[in-house]
Amino acid sequence: MQQYLPSDYLPIIVQLVLALGFVATTMLATNYIIPKIFRNRVHGKVKDDTWECGIEPQGDARTPISIKYFLTAILFVLFDVEIIFLYPWAVNFRSLGWLGFAEMIVFMTLLMAGFFYVIRKGVLNWD
Amino acid sequence: MFYSVVLLSIFGILNLFLGFLKSRAWLLPVTLLFLATALVVTLTDWNKSLFFWNYMMSTDNVSVAFATIIIVSAMLILPLSRFYFPNAAAPVPEYYAILLFSVVGAILMVTYENIIMLFLGLETLSIAMYILAGSDKRNPRSHEAALKYFLMGAFATGILLFGVAMLYGATGTFNLSGLAQYVRTTLVNGASPMLYLGLTLVLIGILFKLSVAPFHFWTPDVYDGTPTLFTAFMATVVKTAGFAALYKILSVSFTGIYSVWWITLAATSVLTLLIGNITAVYQQSFKRMLAYSSISHAGYLLIAVTAMGQTSQSSILFYSLAYTLATITSFAVLILVNENRAGESFSAFNGLARHNPFLAFALTVAMCSLAGIPLTGGFFGKFYIFINALEKGLLFLLVVAVLMSAVGIYYYFRVVIAMYMRGSDDNAVADRIIVPKSYAAVLAITTFLTILLGVAPDLLVRYF
Repeated sequence: MQQYLPSDYLPIIVQLVLALGFVATTMLATNYIIPKIFRNRVHGKVKDDTWECGIEPQGDARTPISIKYFLTAILFVLFDVEIIFLYPWAVNFRSLGWLGFAEMIVFMTLLMAGFFYVIRKGVLNWD
Repeated sequence: MFYSVVLLSIFGILNLFLGFLKSRAWLLPVTLLFLATALVVTLTDWNKSLFFWNYMMSTDNVSVAFATIIIVSAMLILPLSRFYFPNAAAPVPEYYAILLFSVVGAILMVTYENIIMLFLGLETLSIAMYILAGSDKRNPRSHEAALKYFLMGAFATGILLFGVAMLYGATGTFNLSGLAQYVRTTLVNGASPMLYLGLTLVLIGILFKLSVAPFHFWTPDVYDGTPTLFTAFMATVVKTAGFAALYKILSVSFTGIYSVWWITLAATSVLTLLIGNITAVYQQSFKRMLAYSSISHAGYLLIAVTAMGQTSQSSILFYSLAYTLATITSFAVLILVNENRAGESFSAFNGLARHNPFLAFALTVAMCSLAGIPLTGGFFGKFYIFINALEKGLLFLLVVAVLMSAVGIYYYFRVVIAMYMRGSDDNAVADRIIVPKSYAAVLAITTFLTILLGVAPDLLVRYF
């Protein structure tokens, strides 16, 4: 077993310090330094508002949203993850051989069974 | 065991598609047939010692016996669902599929040889249970149960994984025999503190799922809010699988450092017995009482794990079986009483003996078994566990356990007294409960087996 010394983990600490330092610096800068420079021009009713592509925000964020969006999003994640498994298999197709092919067939069968179930359940019917 | 895991997974998926059929009449028989097939396939592994999937799983007689208990209890609980979902739109095929998947998880937990497999099994079982806990979608208490169970369970899983990482850091292996080998050599060289830390965290993770004090706080609320059918599953299958897993990891890998962990387990066991039994006395709801009772039984089972002797395995097995049978009886009667008399409190059972002598008798046998009265399976379960403790010289544990069994008799017999000695107050309550055939069959089987185990325990014990 290869032995690691605590000093081998130094890059992680450096990265952590940098990340925390960036957060601390920007927060300090926006809250204390910039207001000193620009005086009254920082706060205001319009300036403190939520900014979303220039469209005026309306109402509360906690409004009921149709479950269909959620289901579609979840299904998207499912098939996205499937791609992650397919790519490495496609790249290593030759070296994995017939065993890899058979395993991928099993995987795809299970996935397609789920897909069939989803369609029969009518999850993708938008109306 | 390999084939039963694969088969049950496929059957679960098939079950999902069975839901598309017009008629639901075949659903329950087919699911029972699936489980029976898995049971037969599991039993073919009897007297074989096998490894599967590059030492990920192993089979021996004890794991076959535990898997049998798990599958049989699932088969006994499923018929109770017959009239449990009055709503025609209830996704019953999905419930059955999830139950089958959770049985897969439980089987992985009793046959694992690699800690990764333990984690997979535990998660498969737990995630299924989170869903089933929240399956009563119109009931806020069911939501509460699911959310509490999920949040606390996710934390416990995190702690378990952290412990597994520590164990891997200390030993460089996930394999139970590899861990055992490391523990043996470290007795000479001095162990890394990471090993002890890892073991403690893994223990916390598993003990949480077993609702052992001080990790029991979720139990009453979750058991109470979950639909009773699934509470029965939670109280039997999860507990049996969890104790099999706990015993396996400790007995295979960590006997070498018994002196390190036994005191922790002994302390949690005493705490569990005290908290479980004494709090159960104050409950007004039968269902909550059963939740605390399941905590206290975890305490008794923990004594057998702490004693870790030649016969500990067989006494855990015997106790789990006796506890499972009695618990299924109690929950089955509770479902009937709750649906016909609208109440889960002890007073809902008033005068049950006059109108439904069979239900009252079955519940009395179950209560006697849980309390450990002779001629029931629970008596010999406790008897074997106490013998284990005595052989190991754990006298103080024995004293606490005996005292707490005496407390147990008090609260288990409250419902018996309500059934036989209290008259029913109003006429609405006095109506006779019509027992469906499926319930009658399950109750007859569990009651018969409970008495059989109490009269002739040797039928089971001689095999181990």
